[in-house]
Amino acid sequence: MKKALIIGVSGQDGAYLAEFLLKKGYRVFGTSRDAQMTSFGKLKTLGIHQEMEVGSVALNDFRSVLQVLNKVRPDEVYNLAGQSSVGLSFEQPVETFESISLGTLNLLEAIRFIGEPMKFYNASSSECFGNTEGLPANEKTPFSPRSPYAVAKAAAFWQVSNYREAYGIFACSGLLFNHESPLRPERFVTRKIISTACSIAKGATAKLELGNISIQRDWGWAPEYVEAMWLMMQQQEPEDFVIATGKTHKLEEFLELAFSAVRLEWREHVEFHQHLFRPTDILISRANPARARRVLNWQARYGLADIVTMMVEAEVDRGDMGGRALSYSRTAAR
Amino acid sequence: MSCESQKTALLTGITGQDGAYLAEFLLNKGYIVHGIKRRGSLFNTQRVDHLYEDPHQASRRFILHYGDLTDSTSLIRIVQEVQPDEIYNLAAQSHVGVSFQAPEYTAEVDAVGTLRMLEAIRILGLKEKTRFYQASTSELYGRVQEIPQTELTPFYPRSPYACAKLYAYWIAVNYREAYGIFACNGILFNHESPSRGETFVTRKITRAAARIALGLQDSLYLGNLSSLRDWGHAKDYVRAQWLILQQDIPDDYVIATGEQHSVREFCQRAFAELGIELEWKGKGLSEQGIIAALNPSALLSQYSRHGSLYSIKTGKPVIFVDSHYFRPAEVDKLLGDPAKAQAKLGWRAEISFDELVKEMIAFDLQEAVRENVCRRNGFEVTSSCEAHM
Repeated sequence: MKKALIIGVSGQDGAYLAEFLLKKGYRVFGTSRDAQMTSFGKLKTLGIHQEMEVGSVALNDFRSVLQVLNKVRPDEVYNLAGQSSVGLSFEQPVETFESISLGTLNLLEAIRFIGEPMKFYNASSSECFGNTEGLPANEKTPFSPRSPYAVAKAAAFWQVSNYREAYGIFACSGLLFNHESPLRPERFVTRKIISTACSIAKGATAKLELGNISIQRDWGWAPEYVEAMWLMMQQQEPEDFVIATGKTHKLEEFLELAFSAVRLEWREHVEFHQHLFRPTDILISRANPARARRVLNWQARYGLADIVTMMVEAEVDRGDMGGRALSYSRTAAR
Repeated sequence: MSCESQKTALLTGITGQDGAYLAEFLLNKGYIVHGIKRRGSLFNTQRVDHLYEDPHQASRRFILHYGDLTDSTSLIRIVQEVQPDEIYNLAAQSHVGVSFQAPEYTAEVDAVGTLRMLEAIRILGLKEKTRFYQASTSELYGRVQEIPQTELTPFYPRSPYACAKLYAYWIAVNYREAYGIFACNGILFNHESPSRGETFVTRKITRAAARIALGLQDSLYLGNLSSLRDWGHAKDYVRAQWLILQQDIPDDYVIATGEQHSVREFCQRAFAELGIELEWKGKGLSEQGIIAALNPSALLSQYSRHGSLYSIKTGKPVIFVDSHYFRPAEVDKLLGDPAKAQAKLGWRAEISFDELVKEMIAFDLQEAVRENVCRRNGFEVTSSCEAHM
């Protein structure tokens, strides 16, 4: 039975990846910074909390990292941890660097030190590409990071590349474009929009506060993106891949779809706030996931409309109806 | 120079090669120069000792502070106190080979250290006043994606040093774009001088050549002899660093000579300066540099009053290859295109490759002769363990 170690198992991707690997028959170990304090709510939501083991690991502490690898001796390590908010990275640039870049470095160094075959997956990000404008980014597109988060992710990407080339470690980076799900924390704009729209539909007098809605992104469905991570680790040779739907939309479209799903007009409920505009941001992010399709035989099945529909449904299921019927439309067939 | 137009510069890494040349350059331009150095139990200011000014004298222009790029409180305190017009962030764990052994420390100083300096400017509200120069490097190009390399060539770092410097490059760009800080990257290709650290290959070679010639050292062990680099003189390059901060808009520039030589060629040239002609036999790990001919050069002759010249004979192998010096991931060729610097800064490298080697050999020969004189007069001279690390 293969053993997998997921660093950052309390996050969105960690939870879906754990679920996926358990279904594949892996023995799964997951970590968070303090396993005794973490609620692991997402693991409980997916009903897998009891089927796996959890422990504490601090990525900025080499000893902690070495200990967990020694104890678990995983066949596959998935590094999904780190400060994950682009917006917050402008306020906590050092923490962002340490948790993302130094964290990755500690994991690579520990694997190098132990010297046993351990495959390593690193969560890289479309943020590294910056403004792609007209040309969809592929694995060869040069980086142009636009936030402390993106710079940290870029450094981590190159560390993985360097350790792969220097020491022959099976290490690869997934350049994942934005991927959403009902498990997305509310600070992320997609979930924030869905959750506020549903609240308003149920009668709340909330206003949706937003920043720049003309930004364009390639949004995908997280549960299918974790499969791509696993596929990358099953290849003969470690390589980096762009994982995305290949279709880019404006945030405004997401807004439109989310509000019409609950039969509301978004323009009546949105307020724009200057403090939510980022000091620097990516205007357009486009992806070319052709290589993943060709080599991994992976392709995104769900597009923007599906994502909105599924997230709204989940929000409705999650919420307390209190006797009010929330009518929503299924905008696209699955 | 009037007080109003007198500028203040703050240098991190002032005790390094570039720090010393830049400090001298700026002092000659009338700047007040502050430098940050780490505390060590031994004095390590040899490169800047000639710039020393008694702290008890009024209006001195060269001032040192204790601080460390891994300690943000020290950096914020010093920047606050100095209120510099220009910051030159030259401090770093700067050895590519060592970074494979100490990758985390390299990241802490080279990457996060740069972030801490930028944050100091941001936190102290100095973005209108303080310009920031970041010491970026040709090592960013690593496995070069085009030849020659320009400001637009994509990066491909091949060491923990280069990865850390990659972070520093981009965080400087990000703080420029996000907050309007006048932050610039100088992407400097290799630059040498007699002040170069002894563990950097050029200086390692020139020191060894002089010491071998005088019998103080038996042989020299090197790594990849075929490695190609674009080598300039540090003195030319610090001038470029200053020019970069004098422009109307902040931007990034490649600083290079546009000329490429191999490590083997550097050896050839260095030994030739001492009248030692080398021939190369073998390949790979068994390649050797052997003395083919000896012709005491003019350079050596000036020291003839100190005793016999050579302690070596033709036919002696003096250069060997040791895999210990191979890099886990190699950067085998670098060649820079300084066209933008030429066009926008009016900068070009003035000191040639031959002049650089000549100057380094002259200095290291003098050091070797000095050591010989000491030994012959009964003084014990020990050589550093670090020469063999």
